[in-house]
Amino acid sequence: MLRKSWIWAASLIAIAPAASGQPKAQEELRVGVIANLSGVFASSGTTMVNGVRMAVDEAGGKAGAMPIKLFIVDDEGNPELAITRLKAMDTRDKVDVIVGPVSGNIGMAAVDWAKDSGVPVVVAYSAPEDITMRKAVHNVVRAGWSGAQPMFAFGEYVAKKGMKKIVMVGQDYVFPHNQIGGFLKTFCRNGGEEVIKIWHPLNTTDFSSMLAVLPASDAIMYNGAGTDAVAFAKQLEEFGARRGRPLLGGSNFFAVGSLPAMGKTAIGGLSALQYSDALDTPQFKAFRDSYVKKYNEPPMATSEHGYVAMKMVINAVEKTGGKDRAKLIEALRKTDMPNAPRGPVKLDDYGNPIQNIYINEVKSVDGKLLNVAIAKIENVSQFGPYDAKTYLADPPDSRDFPPGKCSDPYYKKK
Amino acid sequence: MNDNRARTMLVVGAAALMLPLVADDYVLVLALRALMYSLIVMSFSLLAGELGLVSLLQSTFAGVAGYGLAILSTSYGWSALPAAAASLLLTLATAAVFGLVSLKTSGVGFMMLTIALGQMVWALAFQWIDLTRGMDGIVSIPAPEFAGLNLRDPRAMYFVTAAIVVVCFASAHVLMESRFGLLIRGIRDNAPRMRALGHPILRARLAAFLIASFYAAVGGILLTWETRVITPVALDLSRAVWVLTAAVIGGTTLLGGSVVGVVIMVTLEAVLSQYTDRHILVFGLILAFAILLLPNGVSAFVSDLWAKRRGRSRETSAVKLAR
Repeated sequence: MLRKSWIWAASLIAIAPAASGQPKAQEELRVGVIANLSGVFASSGTTMVNGVRMAVDEAGGKAGAMPIKLFIVDDEGNPELAITRLKAMDTRDKVDVIVGPVSGNIGMAAVDWAKDSGVPVVVAYSAPEDITMRKAVHNVVRAGWSGAQPMFAFGEYVAKKGMKKIVMVGQDYVFPHNQIGGFLKTFCRNGGEEVIKIWHPLNTTDFSSMLAVLPASDAIMYNGAGTDAVAFAKQLEEFGARRGRPLLGGSNFFAVGSLPAMGKTAIGGLSALQYSDALDTPQFKAFRDSYVKKYNEPPMATSEHGYVAMKMVINAVEKTGGKDRAKLIEALRKTDMPNAPRGPVKLDDYGNPIQNIYINEVKSVDGKLLNVAIAKIENVSQFGPYDAKTYLADPPDSRDFPPGKCSDPYYKKK
Repeated sequence: MNDNRARTMLVVGAAALMLPLVADDYVLVLALRALMYSLIVMSFSLLAGELGLVSLLQSTFAGVAGYGLAILSTSYGWSALPAAAASLLLTLATAAVFGLVSLKTSGVGFMMLTIALGQMVWALAFQWIDLTRGMDGIVSIPAPEFAGLNLRDPRAMYFVTAAIVVVCFASAHVLMESRFGLLIRGIRDNAPRMRALGHPILRARLAAFLIASFYAAVGGILLTWETRVITPVALDLSRAVWVLTAAVIGGTTLLGGSVVGVVIMVTLEAVLSQYTDRHILVFGLILAFAILLLPNGVSAFVSDLWAKRRGRSRETSAVKLAR
């Protein structure tokens, strides 16, 4: 019997390499695309992948002379699984470069993996600032943004519009902390007085207790997104807590997908992002029209970010004429794309875009609610009005930092 | 049967240890994942199969160990091994409290209690942001490096993991063959009689619960070193269901069944996700059929088949002809 079991063991060992043997193609560009394609956030992932596909199709399926092969993988919103899948794309599919992901926590997990594996990664939409700051890695660049980036422009804009005191209700996690952090740093230095911060745990759907005692202010800001955001917008109106005040949002609050559910409450709402649903530039219109033609729906910010990320890869390959890893990374880091749909995109020394930020207002366009750009602030970096050294000398943004009162000594120093 | 079980484990153990010599990196990645999960599933099977208690807390214990490790080695800067040891103790302490709360019940009541306790831990990880960083989770968890072995190298990680897993399975096997194992199975089959015989039921159950949780914690620590990230997903109910499913597919009646179940689950996940975005749906269908058609799990099915064939080969050729 024992002999028989050794035969089993031997055959197991024999089967293993056969099962794993994958043909290695040399002359194609193998691109791994990772995004959340199932679950509640599936739409952000699928629209990102749509953007990636569109960039590939526009290039005739080729980068330089090499045909592009996409390996599209679902991270299921699970960072641990994402790491396993990234490892699979590296070891099984032998990808030359990774495009994605969308979610913040997966982006952060991916950076650690990228550091170990050395595979070039173009982060599409994932926005934790440390991806291109405190944890920056040479082979990771970003096609998107950091959480604070659009808010630098927004804080200044709001303060200069004469809104001095703001009540903010926000989801209690890193991304909203980072967003209000960027906002406060410019708001307070441009004449703002105070942001009263009220944090709630994720997945809160009943805001009644909060809304009953909402302090007086010049404006209300909701710093978050998703179903919580929709519930907040609805209840704000139902409880009569808004009292005519302007409604401001974190960058994802007025997401196109949430607008129909928010209805009239959203109209006139202001937010800031490096993207707008309606830009009056030929590049944007060309992008939107061909996207609508291809997918029969308007593009979202994530679509454009997937598109730009893939474009960065194609451009880098064309520039280097091959897919040598070191050269590809150098070319990616030197990305300078003056004609991206959202406007010029040029990477800073840390690999994050310097780009336009748009102040968007929710307007009804042909019966559809869209974020229409009403102001443009050019050349905003992830460090806002500061240089990298000054910005990084501060602690990372948190629930209580930077302080909500503009009279705080923190704002006195430059 | 016991002889057979030992032999099966020998085969699987030998094959597992030799895998890195022949397999490429991708197979290693999957095999690592399978090995680590097999400990968590074994922890479940030990309680479900030998003690007759369906505990949906075993993946939670893996998560608690993972979080302990992550917090100690990032926020407090502990080095890997002390952090691992402390998080094992933390998990055992948690298991002791949860065990005392839940082990007086049994059947559906016990299962519901384990779900409730698991959800509590999940909520804690999700909302105690200062400690756990909430939904964002903890990243950049350092992997241990000792005696020139860098566990970021998949082959080194594999050997260490495989060795630990083999030791865990062997010790569980020895334990279940011991008097303690007999006592546990006795309690499963007839608790009142065992009580009447003067055995300390609650203490024995608690001991088994702690031992099982220890294995799950080891799995959780290895998993956290491997992925270097932990988020509340690790404590999600869906994770507990994954473990339950793997155990049911593999068969909770044999410790080795957990290995079979995990290998099937990991392979299915890997293969299906390559071909379709709807892989979770396909996955569900396959599982439903597997559970309907193989109520005792794949491992029991295979060993039955094996037993039958052996029986048949001893039959005379005349009988064979008659068939």
